[in-house]
Amino acid sequence: MWRYRAFKSVQSVVERLPRSLAYALAVLAARLAWRFSPLARPRLEYNLKIACPELETDPRELRRLSWLNFRNHAKAYADLMMLPRTSVETMRPWLKVQGMEYLEQARAIGKGVLVVSCHMGSYEVVSAIWSATLTPVSLFAEELEPRALFEWYRDTRARLGISVLTLDTGGLRRVLQALRDEEMVVTAIDRDIVGTGHPMPFFGRLAPIPLGPAAIALRTGTPIFPVCVYRLPDDTYQAEGAPLVFAKDTGDPRGDQIRATEQVLRQLENFIRRHPEQWHVPHAIWANSP
Amino acid sequence: MLPDGEREKLMKVGLVSPYDFASPGGVTDHVRYLAGRLRNHGQQVRIFAPSSRADIDFDTREFYRIGSPIAVPANDSVARITLSFHLGNRVAAIIEQEHFDVLHFHEPLMPALPLTMLRMSTTANVGTFHAFSHSNIGYFYGRGILHPYLDHIHRGIAVSEPARTFFNRYFPDFPLRVIPNGIDLNVFKPGLSPIRHLRDENVNILFVGRLEKRKGLGDLLRGYEFMRERVPHSRLIIVGDGPLRGQVESYISRHRLPNVVLAGYVPDSVKPRYYNSADIFCAPATGAESFGIVLLEAMASGLPVVATEVPGYMSVLEPGRDSLTVRPKGWAELGAALIILARDAELRARMGAYGHEKARRYDWDAVASQVIEVYEEAREAAREAPRRAEESRVHNAV
Repeated sequence: MWRYRAFKSVQSVVERLPRSLAYALAVLAARLAWRFSPLARPRLEYNLKIACPELETDPRELRRLSWLNFRNHAKAYADLMMLPRTSVETMRPWLKVQGMEYLEQARAIGKGVLVVSCHMGSYEVVSAIWSATLTPVSLFAEELEPRALFEWYRDTRARLGISVLTLDTGGLRRVLQALRDEEMVVTAIDRDIVGTGHPMPFFGRLAPIPLGPAAIALRTGTPIFPVCVYRLPDDTYQAEGAPLVFAKDTGDPRGDQIRATEQVLRQLENFIRRHPEQWHVPHAIWANSP
Repeated sequence: MLPDGEREKLMKVGLVSPYDFASPGGVTDHVRYLAGRLRNHGQQVRIFAPSSRADIDFDTREFYRIGSPIAVPANDSVARITLSFHLGNRVAAIIEQEHFDVLHFHEPLMPALPLTMLRMSTTANVGTFHAFSHSNIGYFYGRGILHPYLDHIHRGIAVSEPARTFFNRYFPDFPLRVIPNGIDLNVFKPGLSPIRHLRDENVNILFVGRLEKRKGLGDLLRGYEFMRERVPHSRLIIVGDGPLRGQVESYISRHRLPNVVLAGYVPDSVKPRYYNSADIFCAPATGAESFGIVLLEAMASGLPVVATEVPGYMSVLEPGRDSLTVRPKGWAELGAALIILARDAELRARMGAYGHEKARRYDWDAVASQVIEVYEEAREAAREAPRRAEESRVHNAV
């Protein structure tokens, strides 16, 4: 509970600050975390070295990217803390979208859209804007600890029209309902949170990757839309979409799920390689991670 | 192309509100919706109001931001109005330039913007009275000063019977026509996408309003606590923000009230989805409500209502058909009414269906047509007024 109280105290200050000042505080916090965190930085750097093998031989570049990554991650937290006082109207000019035609193509099919992504950038901005202008958005994501923090996070997103569904059977039932209602569901597959992932090559090394989204797509016929969101130097956001992935039914469900997931993973690898400083994963993804 | 007769009916209307246009509130919403519907009817509309924010998404050509609002405690609430009386020159210039056919004042006797504009206006003036209270010191002591201003108003509207009775208590000889608040049935309707994580096995009770004393949220929290022991699968969703937020949070944590969602301020675009995430709507106000637009929003969304028996609410509700009503401040009765509805899905569905049907009567289109009728009458009266004054001068001279 003390973690939630601490978060809430900081959050109630940050939400009252102008954006520039909130970001300045975030960068300060990022600097401390980057320097003193016992595990987060080694894990992140381990992941970055796998994603961009050239960093193995370039410690200066690795150092620079890992610092930028912490910085962007802290700014994403500041965005989250400011969310209770941010309106969609304010956020709208901050977002640029590339690949909107894929989204339109997916919506035209009429089976909802399954946006599959990785832990990059601030998804709240994109979700809130799409929810207000296109179709209601649900995030299909892990439940945070402690519970009170998760509830705050959920209520805060809900007021922007974003539903937050947990990775369990109740959540899955609602995901299917949302897709039946032709809505958008956003999820990420670069981390195996529930522990049921299937080992498959991710940047050339086996990592457990969840097959859930591909299974949903296979069952409902919903197209998968690979998307990444990253921060631009002027603190606006760029959402970038890749061509749609369709899970094809060949009578071998497991094989079909793996094939569709592999296609999506290739797109995500492409996004991450181009913006490693925005891939916020201070977590263990591969075996042997610190 | 409109026929000539129709074109003659087209008017240039100025809507004047005393309240901060950037803060949500009943009168502000009313003005915003009325402006939209009048425009749909082909009228040209300009809005005059103070605003605490210049960056808000107004269309600047059609919105005049006049004065900065300050918070003034009034009617167990906080009124954000401008108190600057130096608005005269700017207002006079705008009136001169715009040539309005009708100026429509909301709360016309409210300082400072409506009173200043009323004094300046040379056209047909319509006044809508929204407020209801047990007493009004301003009206009581200010009757002598305010009466001459009333003479400038050619036609008066009250939003409900209680609002009319309240106003006529202080100004008995001023006729008011009751035209209710409207509701946009395209916005508030059943079948919208809910906030999905709120749709589970729980019975959801929804409160929508500013978190302030007169809205009676304290009674609802006690009533909900009483109910939770008997209907464990229930959730209270509180939509709105306000000065009591800290107290509400501390009550919830002190009493360890589970399943309470404090949604905070929810933008208009998302609010209808909250109604669609609820099973029961609860309006526990303690008195000073003239109408309760939230009741209409709930009914239009197909929700059964539990409300307190305050005059403003009773002018809209039919207890037993669309709602269960209890005496104000009676938290145990409120809890009991919530239990009855929470346990009876069939009753909820029946009341919700009745309310949904009834809400059609309050469609903004119908309301705007009635308001346009009043505008026509006011223009007629304004044309008559100088002639009568002239006749009476001639009569006196003879």
